[in-house]
Amino acid sequence: MLPNYGFLLLYLCLIISIYGCAASVLAAWKRHRKLYLSAKAAMTVSTILTIVASAILVYLLYQRDYSVYYIAKNSSDDLPALYTLTAWWSSLEGSHFLWTMLMAVVSTIAVWSHSRDNEHIMPYVSATLQAVLAWMFYLLVTHSDPFKVQLPAPPNGNGMNELLQNFYMAIHPPLLFIGYVAAAIPFAYAIAALFYGDITEGWVKSVRRWTLVGWCFLTAAITLGGRWAYVELGWAGYWAWDPVENSSFLPWLTGTGLLHSLLVQEKLGHLKRLTLILAIMGFFLTFFGTFITRSGVISSVHAFGEGPIGPNYLMFLAVLACAASLLYAVRAPSILPPETEKVWGVSKESALVVSLFLILSFGAIVFIGTVFPIVSEAINDQRISIQAPYFNMFAPYIGLGVMLFVGIGNLLRFQTSKAPGAKKVIVISGILALPFMVLFSYLGKVFALSTGFNLYAQLTGFYFVGFGFFCLCGDLWLKLKDIRFKVGLFFKRNLAYIGAFLAHVGFLVAIFGFLGNYRGLEKKVTLDVGESTELFGYQFKLEGGIDVGKDQNATIFAAPLQVSRNGQVLYNMKPAQSRYPTKPGQVFNEIAVAGNMWRDFYVVLAGFDAKTGKQVTLNININPTVKFVWLAITIMVIGGMVAVFDRFRGNRSRDVVAGNWELGNL
Amino acid sequence: MKYLWLVMVGFFWANFSMAETKEVPDDLFRNVANELRCPTCKGLSVLDSDAKFSVQIKDEVKLQLSQGKSKIEILAFFSERYGPWILRVPPKEGVSALAWWFPIGLLVIGPILVWFFVWRKHEVVVTAGVRSTEQIVLEMKKEVEAFKSRGAI
Repeated sequence: MLPNYGFLLLYLCLIISIYGCAASVLAAWKRHRKLYLSAKAAMTVSTILTIVASAILVYLLYQRDYSVYYIAKNSSDDLPALYTLTAWWSSLEGSHFLWTMLMAVVSTIAVWSHSRDNEHIMPYVSATLQAVLAWMFYLLVTHSDPFKVQLPAPPNGNGMNELLQNFYMAIHPPLLFIGYVAAAIPFAYAIAALFYGDITEGWVKSVRRWTLVGWCFLTAAITLGGRWAYVELGWAGYWAWDPVENSSFLPWLTGTGLLHSLLVQEKLGHLKRLTLILAIMGFFLTFFGTFITRSGVISSVHAFGEGPIGPNYLMFLAVLACAASLLYAVRAPSILPPETEKVWGVSKESALVVSLFLILSFGAIVFIGTVFPIVSEAINDQRISIQAPYFNMFAPYIGLGVMLFVGIGNLLRFQTSKAPGAKKVIVISGILALPFMVLFSYLGKVFALSTGFNLYAQLTGFYFVGFGFFCLCGDLWLKLKDIRFKVGLFFKRNLAYIGAFLAHVGFLVAIFGFLGNYRGLEKKVTLDVGESTELFGYQFKLEGGIDVGKDQNATIFAAPLQVSRNGQVLYNMKPAQSRYPTKPGQVFNEIAVAGNMWRDFYVVLAGFDAKTGKQVTLNININPTVKFVWLAITIMVIGGMVAVFDRFRGNRSRDVVAGNWELGNL
Repeated sequence: MKYLWLVMVGFFWANFSMAETKEVPDDLFRNVANELRCPTCKGLSVLDSDAKFSVQIKDEVKLQLSQGKSKIEILAFFSERYGPWILRVPPKEGVSALAWWFPIGLLVIGPILVWFFVWRKHEVVVTAGVRSTEQIVLEMKKEVEAFKSRGAI
């Protein structure tokens, strides 16, 4: 009975959203405040109902009610408590449901917490959001019903995909979806601005804040996805330029671009139309990514679910693209031109334009690399692959350009080619970067591990990481000097700057971490008990036979391995294979990772002698500076969060711009 | 003891075949194997994969390298056998060449376009009669004030 109530709630949500959308459109057209308030109430009610429906699903998951088809498919009696919950988003219908629920919640927050400056465009925002919500609810009650019942209920479920039974995969999807749905808010504001015919100051403030929130979540989610791949899949890397990774990376790139174009718009009023395009594109790409994952057009690591949802998504994407382009074509010319004239030249806005160009070009290349195989197959029936080497061919040059402009761009000033002190900082940074490069090449043992292109790429990379870092620090110093080192005031008034500083430093550290990929080591060995092998001066000794243990629902076969150097024991590792009761024939890797900041020891148990358990085959990898990447992303996310709390950005003329309704209320 | 002769023959044959092939440098092998995709996995090269199919391909690569074939020859061999799909980057001819020309063109022509459309543009906008939002709101507020002072509200 309970699943039917869940379905009923979702059905009600669909109807309410359709009403909300229609009422918002009417309210926007007639400028009818009460009608808009009813649409807002409708959105709130549908959000509450979805939350109740989610609670029902969670209750059913913990009841292990296998009469619900989705639960029978993705859960089983042996699942531990955490994964019983995460079974919710371990497959297509459930993750779509989670996405819809988060979309409803975030939309409601956005509509209730809007700034007073935006009151005049809120009906458009609400209409856009509820139109998207209505479509998502429609999918939930038709093709992607998580409450579908099958009777009689099977005695046990099929079990959850074992690769997903991992902590990182438990939190990656919700964070990713929050990042995705946060991208819907700038989109809704962009549509609203186009309908309304102008962009106001309050608009920038709201869009900036929501873009930043989405950016933080997306950054964290992408990294956790990478970390999952690193500890679960066993090919010793965290980023494969897999189509699904790319499709989460594309909205990240447009989001990053949006943040930078918003900055130009806020300071100078330029790039308004680019901002609108990026806001629309970012949202489009979130659904495009899902289309790629879920429709099965490109098979990939993440394509766990396939269903009739593909054509629906395609239709939605087509409608979205056509409607947005048409609206843009008709309404964009009505956006007022900026009032400032003295721009460009050697100034910060120019540096921002170049950075935007680089970021968006990279986006274009990633997009081409992702969809070109489909296009090629469609037009001349030639199947081709575009994988990591293709992207790795272009990424270093884009990265180089971005690093250069992170350094120099931050030092320049808006609207003037005069930047006092900048030249000095650039020269000093250029000089200081040299010892930095030498020091880190020495610490990272670069010369021992790489030659040729790889070596030069790393040296150049180190140099520009150092250069960018010193430039950023120099800029911070100049800014502090300008206000006579009143640090407290700086922290109070300029959190956005501090956030950006952290995010840029994080970016540079991330590049530093990525450079480690140029000098990874790998060895495949078969060892008997007591035997040892050596890789790059480290001894790996098999201490004993296979240990059989139990970890929650899995049976673990672990090989005790000791890593030592010059007779000194460094780490004890337990690379293992696991078996799950629901998939008796299959084994899964439980990878052992240990190490310090400079190198990760990454050991996969590739196989073992099943009879005696005394002989094992291991894939041993030494991956340099992977921990720098995790550290870097943490710094970036903290930077983004700090910047969210800046109360002054985009707030310039709060008392000048007033909503139309305020006059009516007098 | 029954199979001893087999082992012996095998041993000698192995020695014999070792004699005419040369040792394959690990770097070269990794370089070649990294250019071929694992047919059964997603997004991985045969080098990173231990799937059955990948292992076969790796063995074939090793064999051909030991026979003194070059990287280009080996890649051409696999491309002929499985189609260009087996290569991890698209071929540089036919329609696939677009996948190469587009990014290169973008990075080369793009800056020129940006230069032309953004920096060199001196657009003359007729602003006569166009008022900013701030201006409009100010005027509206003035009117309201005027109303108030007349005691209309």
